[in-house]
Formats: sequence, structure tokens, C-alpha cells
Amino acid sequence: MKVEFTPQQNALREELRAYFGELMTPELMDECSRDMGEGGGPLWRTALKKMGADGWIGLGWPEELGGKGMSPIEQFIFVEEIMRAGYPFPFLTTESVGPQLAENGNEWHKTELVPKILAGELLISIGYSEPGAGTDLAALKTSAVRDGDEWVINGQKMWTSLAHFCDYTWLAVRTDPDAPKKHKGISMFLVPNDDPGWSCTPVNTLGDVRTNATFYDNIRVSDRNLVGELNGGWKLITSQLNRERLSLVNVGPTAVLFNKVVQWASETTLADGSRLVDEAWVQGNLARVRVGIEALKLVCYKQAWAMSEGTLDMADASVAKVYGSEFFIEAYRLLGEVVGQASMVKAHSEAGEVLQGRIERLYRTASIITFGGGTNEIQRDIISAAGLWIPRASR
Amino acid sequence: MDFGFSEQQGEVQTLARQILSEQVTPERLAAYDEFKAERFDRELWQQLAQAGLLGVALEESHGGMGFGFTELALFIEEVGRSIAPVPVIPHLVSAAAPIQRFGSSELQGRWLPGVASGDVLLTAALMEPGNEEPAAPSLTTATLDGDGYRVSGLKTCVPFARSADRILLSAAVDGGVVVLLVDPKSAGISLEDVRYSTYETQYQLTLQDVQVSAADVLAGPTAGAAVMQWLSLRTTAALCAHQLGVTDHSMRMTASYSAERKQFGVLIGTFQAVGHRAANCYIDVECLRLNTYQAASLLASEADATNEVQIAKVWAGDVGHRVSYASQHLHGGTGIDRDYPLWRYCLWARHNEMMLGGSARQLAALGARIAAGEAYCA
Ligand SMILES: Cc1cc2nc3c(=O)[nH]c(=O)nc-3n(C[C@H](O)[C@H](O)[C@H](O)COP(=O)(O)OP(=O)(O)OC[C@H]3O[C@@H](n4cnc5c(N)ncnc54)[C@H](O)[C@@H]3O)c2cc1C
Repeated sequence: MKVEFTPQQNALREELRAYFGELMTPELMDECSRDMGEGGGPLWRTALKKMGADGWIGLGWPEELGGKGMSPIEQFIFVEEIMRAGYPFPFLTTESVGPQLAENGNEWHKTELVPKILAGELLISIGYSEPGAGTDLAALKTSAVRDGDEWVINGQKMWTSLAHFCDYTWLAVRTDPDAPKKHKGISMFLVPNDDPGWSCTPVNTLGDVRTNATFYDNIRVSDRNLVGELNGGWKLITSQLNRERLSLVNVGPTAVLFNKVVQWASETTLADGSRLVDEAWVQGNLARVRVGIEALKLVCYKQAWAMSEGTLDMADASVAKVYGSEFFIEAYRLLGEVVGQASMVKAHSEAGEVLQGRIERLYRTASIITFGGGTNEIQRDIISAAGLWIPRASR
Repeated sequence: MDFGFSEQQGEVQTLARQILSEQVTPERLAAYDEFKAERFDRELWQQLAQAGLLGVALEESHGGMGFGFTELALFIEEVGRSIAPVPVIPHLVSAAAPIQRFGSSELQGRWLPGVASGDVLLTAALMEPGNEEPAAPSLTTATLDGDGYRVSGLKTCVPFARSADRILLSAAVDGGVVVLLVDPKSAGISLEDVRYSTYETQYQLTLQDVQVSAADVLAGPTAGAAVMQWLSLRTTAALCAHQLGVTDHSMRMTASYSAERKQFGVLIGTFQAVGHRAANCYIDVECLRLNTYQAASLLASEADATNEVQIAKVWAGDVGHRVSYASQHLHGGTGIDRDYPLWRYCLWARHNEMMLGGSARQLAALGARIAAGEAYCA
């Protein structure tokens, strides 16, 4: 047991911090904050291509697939650093869908799509959720029906984030309506977002994050758009969700925010000239956040370490998701109290803005990952069953 | 970054768990309830000594195994898991460890072999009424007296003070703090039994002009505060390790119970509200575990771990509190029935929560470090 980074891991962190420090010009940062941390703008695209050219995309993929072959712990350091830098990296494309195409895809996926993903030139949105299929994802209704040697796709997806600037949608569809178990009749397709039968309307959320309702109207695709086995989609979905969790509750951005609030409170004086940070209640809030960040850091690092060792425990992965998502909400509240009224002032206000209005916005976005990415209720079910052997109710 | 156990760490854990789970039964623990006897199982103590565990972190030249603080913490976690009636923390962490680290070779030779063999018993007096800061004694003072010191003052929460051969304590002197090994049988010492809810008596120790010879001085005025700081961090981390064992065991007892107990014709564990409260305990215990292991691992390599130890102790306090009440609640009446083994665990969770300062005090200390720019995130 040695709960410290190796010198090589520390060196990687420093290399990345310097790299992203240079990449994130004020103009790019401005664009990303305007795009509500989603990316998609011209400077964002240029930066992504540069990262592709510099070999920073696909770092966890095996080298024979064109990646860097990094261990999960190194990938984790990468994710943490890029998130600290504030660049909205398209993890879903590069770390979730990309490796699956590289591993389970056909010739077209491997020779045409994968190199473009690695070059930062191809983006993919995720089409799982539907109006009637959320947590119970296997209830999805969008269908693909065989017609000659083509597939005809019809249906509606909900919350298809980034779809308005992506090239393809990684679409979960029902291919066997008669399967004895509903998750056994699902397949994965790559559907081009420029197909005439594809359309998209914006869904605007509390946190200004734009997502989409997407519609699939008699879209015809061929077998090469099918990924993996017919009716074998469920496995691809669940393994993709596992990879996604690595970036959901990353500790980096909250650590940066904490440091900035401490700095701000140390420089801010009260009417009597004393520092805000010397108030007992301020120290109490800051200490609470610091204590929570330390645990999140360790929970994340342990998960990355276990992935490197090939011993990732189901319960531990759920611990990270639940703890992280709920701690963020508490942390934003405690830090917001320190910042006071200014924590409600929006970015680009004429006056009164603190830390670029970040806490104002975080209050509005924080709920997404308590129900998204596998709702916390299900994660707690997993913890009590896999971690404590408590019997589950049948569902 | 390595969260796995080395072979020797795994062996220490297995050995300790084997002896303690066999020997510490509810029947044996019941012998100490209501202060019927001093909460010290001497037979078990000898078994632990024979297995080498009392010397786990002592050098081989003193009869130890030659391992470090991480292994010692793993042993203490097992002591917590079984709530064994043995004075492992005061004897090994608060007293023997600083003697090995800072004592003269004469002092080491005099005490450490007996520490490992269980022939001598050491303890420490770390707190004073209203003062939980071991490195800053305010009620206990010493004055030079020949080569040694004369000490007067007051200490509280001293476990095993009556049976110990020496009590390690700090006293304020001109120019700093001294650390002394005081014989509880010396003239001028009086002990009062203070009855704590764990049934482990914590003595109040009054010293009046007690003479301490030069041979019993562990650290002089310039070094004393740092020595106390060193052993206080380790004692705090040890309390966290003990708490980890206590809460992990309470939680697992609760999980087993919810997989056996039926109401409304089904196992209570199948109620989502029950499963989720247990899951919350699991998350809590995992956070305590990782923070404790991090603190132990940093202390083992003599790194500065002040922030990490304070953070771990906040988790020990909070998690102890939450797991204790969740366990009681999820058991219904059974949890507090004294014929069922949970209740004693609840008392130890409380003990570990409060000793050397509860969460609020740790948070205040950490908050001061944050304000001083000493606790930024890396
Ligand atoms: C900003 C944003 C971006 C998103 N991006 C995408 C995307 O790119 N692609 C995509 O496919 N989806 C996306 N989603 C959808 C997201 O995955 C779903 O919101 C999530 O799966 C929850 O589904 P739901 O919203 O239908 O809630 P529901 O499933 O209806 O849940 C409502 C409540 O019921 C509870 N609940 C449900 N089942 C149980 C149970 N068994 N036990 C106890 N409680 C239960 C939930 O915990 C929740 O509190 C996004 C959502 C948002 C808000």
C-alpha cells in the first residue's frame, strides 16, 4: 500500500498541466464558457484536432488500435487535468464509443471512422434515452426493421446531448420485439446525423446546458452501420456506461474551485479590514469541503487503480458515482455560502461577479449526475447487493 | 498509487483477524461490563505478544517484526473489528512508537523488548480538562530538578493508568514542552477512576511535585512539542483505524441481519429504504477506509500528513456517528438488546469519535490551516 503517485505519474501530470495551460487560450476559454461547457465551437474544434495530432486522443486505447496504451490510472490523470483546465473533452466519443468501434467494429468502422475519431475530426452523440425509457432503459421503443438488405429506423430519442453538432448518433434500437427478455432484443447502430430522416429540436435546461430531442423517420442504413452483434447491444451499452463514470465524478474541477474560493476569501476583506477567510464560519465551510474532496480523490484514485489491476469492484464504482454526485451539490452550497450574494450573480454581469459566475451556474447544473449516468437509486441498489450481500427486491 | 496490501500486510491482517475473532467472544466481553473487571484481557494480550503482533512495528533488535506504521494500523483495525479488550493504542502507538523514534538507545533497550513481549505496559496521558491538544499542555508544568524534573498538574482520559509501568505525558517548562515517562506509583500521583460508557476506565491523573529522573525524560524542552505532535498524529490515525474496524463490523452485522429478518412476509433488506441506508453506510465506511489508509501510508513514510490525519479524523467522527445510528435503526429493537452483540460497538464508535477531539474540533483546526494557506488541493 502506497497512497501516493509514482514519480512517473507526477511527471505525466505536470506534462499535461503545462500542455493544457498552453492550449487553453483566453479566447478558447471564453468560447467554451459561452457554449456552457459543451464545446462544439470553431476554436474548440481546432484545439481538438491539435490534440489528435499531438497524440492525446485515444490514450487508453491499445497501441495496435492507434492509441497510447495508457493504464486507467494514467487515463484518470489525463481526465483530471483536462477537466481542471476547463476544456470540454468529448469523452463519450473518444473514451466510450471509440474504443468499442476499435474493438468490436467492422472494417468500415475500423478503417474510416476510428482514424477520424483519433484525429479529433469525428464526433458521436449518444442516443439511449427516450420519452418512455429513462432509468428503465431496456424499455426503449425506437426500432430497426429489416427491409431487403437494409434496416429502416423509426422512433424518438430524448436528451440526445451534443447531437446538434455531432456527425453520428450511437443509437440503441429494438431489433427483436419478441425477445423473451426486453434487454435481449436491443442492437446498436451508428446513424448519420445528416440523413434527411434525422431531425433534432433543442431542449433547454435549468443549467443552460442544451440537449436535444432527436427524431428518426424512416432512416435507411445498411449492415455496416450495425455495431457488434445483432441483438447484442445491451452488453455494449452497459460497458460504455462503466467507462463514462470515470469522467462523471472527477475530482479535478472541484479541487480547482475550492482553491479559487480559498484564494478569493483570503484576498477579500470585511468592512473592519479583516480577511473573510479568518471568519470561523468560513473556515468551517471550507474545511467541510476540503474533507469531502479528499475522500472523492481517494475514491476516484482507488477506482482507477483497481481498473489498472483488473480488479474493479461493482460496488466501488457505484460508491464513486453516488458519493461524488451528492458531494458536488453539498460542496457548491458550502462554497456558495462563503462567496455570499455574489454566488447568485451570473457570468458576464456588469458588476458583482465572482469567479466568472461559476458557482451561480453550478447550482443550476449539479443535479444532472445524481439521476443521469445511472441514477443514484440504482447505484445504491448495486452497493447494497454487491457490496453487502443484502437481498434485492425483484424488479 | 497502490491501494493493495503487500504480502506482509496481508499476513498481519490475517493473523490478527484469526486470533481476535476466535478469542474475543460476546461472553468474554461481558466479563468487563459494568466495570466488573479492568477491561484488559491479559491472556489475549499474551497470545498477541506470542504471535509477534505487539512487536509488529518494533525493530527486530527489540524483539519486533520490524514492520511500519501501516502494518500497525492494520492490526489496530482488527482490534476495532473485534473491540478486543486490549490497550493496543496507548501501549504501542502513543508510548512505544515515540520511544523507538526519539528515545535514547538506553531508553529503548529498557522498555521496548518488554513492550513486544507484553511484560511491561505503557500508556499515555494526552489530554487535560478542556485541552485536547497533546503538544500544548497548559495545566501541567514541570521545573528542572537536578538532572530530572518535578511535575505538577492534571491530565484526563488516561487509559490503563493503574496497571501501567509508565505513563507518557507532556508538561510545559521554561522554553518549551518536555515529554516524560512517569511511574504511576511515584509519590505525588493520585488517580481517580472516571467511568466511561465503554466500560474502559479513563483515569484522571493529578500530579503534585512528582519527581521524574533524567532516565525517564523522553524529550527535552526544545524537542518536546514536536515529539508530542508526532505521536498525537499517529494516535489520531490509530483511532481512525480502530473506528474503521468498529464501523465496518457494525455495518456487516446490520447487512446480515437485514438478510435474515422478515416483516410483511419478506426480508427487510428487500425494502429499498433499508438497502439504501445500508448502502450509505458502505459509502461512509469506504471513505473512512481510504482516508485512514492514506494517513497511515503517509505517516509510515514520515511524510507531513497533518491535513490528511485531520481529514481522516473528521471521517472517523462522522462515520462513527452515522453508522452507529443506522445500525441500531435497521436492527429495530434487537440492535439495542444487550443480549445481541451490536450495542458495545456503538459505544466504541462514540469513543473513537470523541477521543482527541470530535469532528468540529478537527474541522476548526483544518479550517485554520486552510486560512493559513497550508491546505490547498494539490
Ligand atoms: C443534461 C442531460 C443530458 C443528457 N444526455 C443524454 C445523452 O446524451 N444521451 C442519452 O441517452 N441520455 C441522456 N440524458 C438522459 C439521462 O440519462 C436520463 O435523464 C436518466 O437516465 C434518467 O432518466 P429519466 O430522466 O427518464 O428519469 P426517470 O428514470 O423517470 O427517473 C425519475 C426518478 O425516479 C427514480 N427511479 C427510477 N427508477 C427507479 C428505481 N428502480 N428505484 C428507485 N427509484 C427509481 C429516479 O432515480 C429518479 O429520481 C441526459 C439527461 C440530461 C438531463
